[in-house]
Amino acid sequence: MTDSRPQLYEQASQYQHWRFTRASLEKLRDANNKRGIDRVLRGLKEEANVSDDQSTLETRISEVTNNLLTPSEELQLIDYYLQMIKVYAQIYRKNGLLKPDALDDVKATAINFMKRFYLHNVVFDYPPKSIMLTCFYLATKVENAFMKIDDFVRPLQAAETKRGSKVQTRGEDILGLEFVVIQSLQFELAAHHPYRAAYGLYLDMQAFITDSALLKDVFDRTHHYIDLSLFTDLVFLFQPSQIAMGAFKLAAREKDLDIDSYLTQRFEARSLELLYSVLDDIQDTISVFKNTSQKDAQAIDRKLILCRNPEKNPNSKLYKKKAADQNDVPYVSDSDSD
Amino acid sequence: MSVLQSAQRQEIPAFQSDKDSCPQCKSERYLNKSMKLLAGPCKHRICESCVQQIFDAGPAPCPECRRILRKAEFYLPIFEDLTVENEVRIRQRMAATYNKREEDFKTLADYNAYLEMVEELTFSLLYDVDTDETEFIIEKYRRDNTASIEKNQSKSRREEQLQKLISEQERIKRQNHREELAKQIEEEKREKKEAKDKLIDALATSDKDAKEIVKANMIQLKKSSLNNRNSAQKSRFDIDAFLGNANDDFDDDAEAEEDYGPFDPAESPYMPMDIVLKAKYDDPNPAFRQGSLAAAGMTREIHQRYVIEGAMAGLFAPYLQDESAEGGPTPDNNDENSMAVDAKVS
Repeated sequence: MTDSRPQLYEQASQYQHWRFTRASLEKLRDANNKRGIDRVLRGLKEEANVSDDQSTLETRISEVTNNLLTPSEELQLIDYYLQMIKVYAQIYRKNGLLKPDALDDVKATAINFMKRFYLHNVVFDYPPKSIMLTCFYLATKVENAFMKIDDFVRPLQAAETKRGSKVQTRGEDILGLEFVVIQSLQFELAAHHPYRAAYGLYLDMQAFITDSALLKDVFDRTHHYIDLSLFTDLVFLFQPSQIAMGAFKLAAREKDLDIDSYLTQRFEARSLELLYSVLDDIQDTISVFKNTSQKDAQAIDRKLILCRNPEKNPNSKLYKKKAADQNDVPYVSDSDSD
Repeated sequence: MSVLQSAQRQEIPAFQSDKDSCPQCKSERYLNKSMKLLAGPCKHRICESCVQQIFDAGPAPCPECRRILRKAEFYLPIFEDLTVENEVRIRQRMAATYNKREEDFKTLADYNAYLEMVEELTFSLLYDVDTDETEFIIEKYRRDNTASIEKNQSKSRREEQLQKLISEQERIKRQNHREELAKQIEEEKREKKEAKDKLIDALATSDKDAKEIVKANMIQLKKSSLNNRNSAQKSRFDIDAFLGNANDDFDDDAEAEEDYGPFDPAESPYMPMDIVLKAKYDDPNPAFRQGSLAAAGMTREIHQRYVIEGAMAGLFAPYLQDESAEGGPTPDNNDENSMAVDAKVS
């Protein structure tokens, strides 16, 4: 009897809705960026109408056009804040708010959420700093490591006061963006990561590889490569188990352990053909990846300040006027009950 | 004095309570077991003898509300609540006249319109609104549609007879089956007794070893009881086949379903992974290092299998094809609607 039952991993929302090819990713981001720029220009024009300030409109438009961010610059800025997620995770662990077991999952889920969010939104509308905090808070909820919003905000505010910064992070801002983020994720919050897969590979390899001390070494190093892979687009291209295997191979090559004999013994030759090309792809991607430096990120951020969309900027006149308009409309209930 | 037709047919007894008493003559059911408490159109109750006493000589006012009534207007109610009784009677009357079925209409909309019309008339009768007009309309409809009313009535009579026949046959079948079963039990008892007697006989008379005789006897007993059980199952099967025929009028969809065999709730709907666990792993998870249970029912094997399956799942998932590349659903945070969300921020 042929088993026509579906594979379990094919039922995950990550597999069904959040898989792309490199080409489609690029297309998606380009289109997104272009739409974002159009909206910024439209927002500027609207604001000029609202504040009756047509004279500065021309200068503002040229200012914006000169400082627009390209899709790759957007990505670089986002990447900088993804690195911040890793730093923040350590801060919360030190404060005892995050358990060390949950650290990997929370960090990876937050990074995943942020990457997915910016596939359908632009930094012009939603600056990455605030989104990063919301994604992190969401991730603690999703990965069963909930902390109260006050506890979450306290270390941030403490750091800001120490720096002498006038702007303080508020809990309401983080929570206010939560719905926007969840909506962009299409309410699909289950994210699968390579960490468990690597653990499983480690156990499975023990049956075929005799040098257990070296294997443990390689396994520990794999963790580092998986951390690196989180910043790349690999999560959109491949399955977590494949990424884990690729990271394992990288670590094994570094520590001089032969994984290939395990692969040929464990799996059939036909399926290995496909697997090898996938693994090579993964290994190359992780090896060449470089994180954005703080200097580059600051330069891009300076440009961003000039070209933010006034429609979504809480400090702009347009936004304030729209919020006021919303409040004027009396709330009329839809039900017929009086 | 009338009783609801349908109640009579199904032999439903009229409602009565032990404390019933006639408001006029104060006679109680306790003193007269067979007292009949009738009800009039004005919803007041009177016992049968009082009705005879008061209304024999012709129309007279009701003792409680003074409404002029005739003897024939009193009835024995089946239901305790007289509004219910009234409604059921009216609906029965309507159903006798308005007995069209869904098949008689071309479209579902027409059938619904017909039902709506009937319900409107029923409501007018129930709440005493324009009773005369409504009665006139009903009478007119009856005269105009005598033919179709007749046809539908004969149809329903035929159906009723068929149902009666079927239920009668079922009853007989069930009774026969019960008798069969009883007979079988008798048989078994008898056989057992015979076998016992035979055994004692054999032990008493023959020269063979006692143990062997008993063993041989036991084997024979088992064989005979097995035969009985098989024949019992065969006769049971027939009943099910017969009952299956009685449901032929219902949905055919049920038969179109494939038979997947008996349902096993523990069977996974997903493709299983062939993973063979080693006896001992060098597991970095401290909870299982000594093989101790981390939680009730959780074993080392379950945990390790879970983790290794996570490693194997999707390992050979192919590249996504470019043409079918789904960008995923595109949510729109970018239209005017999202302003409502942002407004909450400030």
